[in-house]
Amino acid sequence: MNINNIKKEFPIFDNKVHNNDLVYLDSANSSQKPRVVVDRIYDFYTKEFSNVGRSVHYLAVAATNLYENTRTSVQKFINAKDANEIVFTKGATEAINLVASTFGQNHLKEGDEVLLTELEHHSNYVPWHYLRKSKGIKIEFAEINEDGEITLESIEKKITPKTKIIGVTHLSNVTGAILPIKEIVQLAHSKNIPVLVDGCQGAPHLKLDMQDLDCDFYAISCHKMYGPTGLGILYAKKTWLEELPPYQGGGGMIGEVKKEGITYGDLPNKYEAGTMATAQVIAFDESIKFLNKIGMDKIIKHEKELIEYGQEILRKNNSVKLIGNPKTKGSVLSFTIDGIHPHDIATILDEDGVAIRAGHHCCQILHDKLDIAASARASLGVYNSKDDLDKLNSSINKCKKIFELK
Amino acid sequence: MNLKELYQEIILDHGKNPRNLRKTENFNKDAKGHNPLCGDKVHIFLKLNDNKKLEDISFEGQGCAISMASASIMTDLLKGKEEKEVKEIVNDFLEMIKEKDEINTNLLKDDEKTKLMCLSGVKQYPMRVKCATLSWHTLTSAIEKSQNEINSESLEV
Repeated sequence: MNINNIKKEFPIFDNKVHNNDLVYLDSANSSQKPRVVVDRIYDFYTKEFSNVGRSVHYLAVAATNLYENTRTSVQKFINAKDANEIVFTKGATEAINLVASTFGQNHLKEGDEVLLTELEHHSNYVPWHYLRKSKGIKIEFAEINEDGEITLESIEKKITPKTKIIGVTHLSNVTGAILPIKEIVQLAHSKNIPVLVDGCQGAPHLKLDMQDLDCDFYAISCHKMYGPTGLGILYAKKTWLEELPPYQGGGGMIGEVKKEGITYGDLPNKYEAGTMATAQVIAFDESIKFLNKIGMDKIIKHEKELIEYGQEILRKNNSVKLIGNPKTKGSVLSFTIDGIHPHDIATILDEDGVAIRAGHHCCQILHDKLDIAASARASLGVYNSKDDLDKLNSSINKCKKIFELK
Repeated sequence: MNLKELYQEIILDHGKNPRNLRKTENFNKDAKGHNPLCGDKVHIFLKLNDNKKLEDISFEGQGCAISMASASIMTDLLKGKEEKEVKEIVNDFLEMIKEKDEINTNLLKDDEKTKLMCLSGVKQYPMRVKCATLSWHTLTSAIEKSQNEINSESLEV
């Protein structure tokens, strides 16, 4: 599959936005879906639908096999040791909530510290805040440097004997910084501290190898990986999934249910209560096939070229200020323009069919630190091209013209 | 969709050089407004005299051109009005943004109505309506002191 011709695999690009070709630069928010994924959902519902893991009829057995096939595909895609280390959730948010809640129950008490970073998305802060309220734990934040990076040293500085778990993003959705996860995990493990990685931005843009990273938990958002909404993945080491309590109770996750008591099911059922997002799981297999068909190496190379090109043209554009200058940067170009609020930028760009995001991108801690209320963000996916970035730049020039900036 | 209608000269002027962007000395009423989706913030200060006349109105905050212009025009037009009149104009403005085609109140002169109508361009941009209405809702809250902070996500318009 030729990456330069990939737009045609995505039906959304057949549509016009305000009579313009769509220039979609909001993939960090959610990516568009290739036809194979959309078709798979339709086919499943029209030809193969059944609930999974319960009935013994033909459709139920076939659907269960398809559902479990995706689990194996995910396992291979992220090089996890065991398919039972893959738990389907309703999103990466739920995956992180699952860890915070169950780890909190078994391992956190008043005064214990959870170490996060200033780059974290709200979804890797708010779930821990609940424990601050309910259990009196403390939350510490490793600080960014002036390039918008989190270094190993900044993590090390905040580790104390009370640090019980570290939660870090793999790739910042604002500065684009790629964190040294493997080194962070090595450091944390040397002090017996487990590490949760928010992989929302990492999974679609980086080659993942759980056994190499050696992290304890890794949260994935499927809709940012050219997959359906309503689906996330929690990778967790088997020892954790065996030791931690279930997150939600309901059908499918039990062993034996008696009036006197209940036993829980084996992995991975223990963490998949109720009817799951069956069609989404089955369709997500197509997303993985799609990524594998192009090849993550090619995707990484393609996006690296684009991000370098994007930085180059935006740096040349007067009054555009890029946010963060990390040495290893992926997929996002956040910026501000002196004299134009990001929301006005986004509205004006939209008129040209250029879709970006404006706001705090669910990172208020980071925006406070940078002392800005909001920023504009162009984020990339496999379907983007240099041409898209040129259009971004010329629409930015149109903003400047409307606001009479030079 | 018409960008020129949204970003009219008056809006850009008020957005760049907001009037009454300061804190009223000896204010006796105030309220804060916040749009959690975009981070826009406004803090409105009022000085109502014994006759319930708006002796001064000012605001502090940061936001997009629309929200800054809206707060600026609002404070400009309401200074000197009585509380009752302020409420009438606020309601009239919010109804215009919501559904009506024009500003009906007799409390404003024609050129003042024209100024307010410049904000009607947001009607074509549903995601931006809150930018135009945040300061107005916050003003209502300051007068009534019903709520300490207006959160644009819990508002209808």
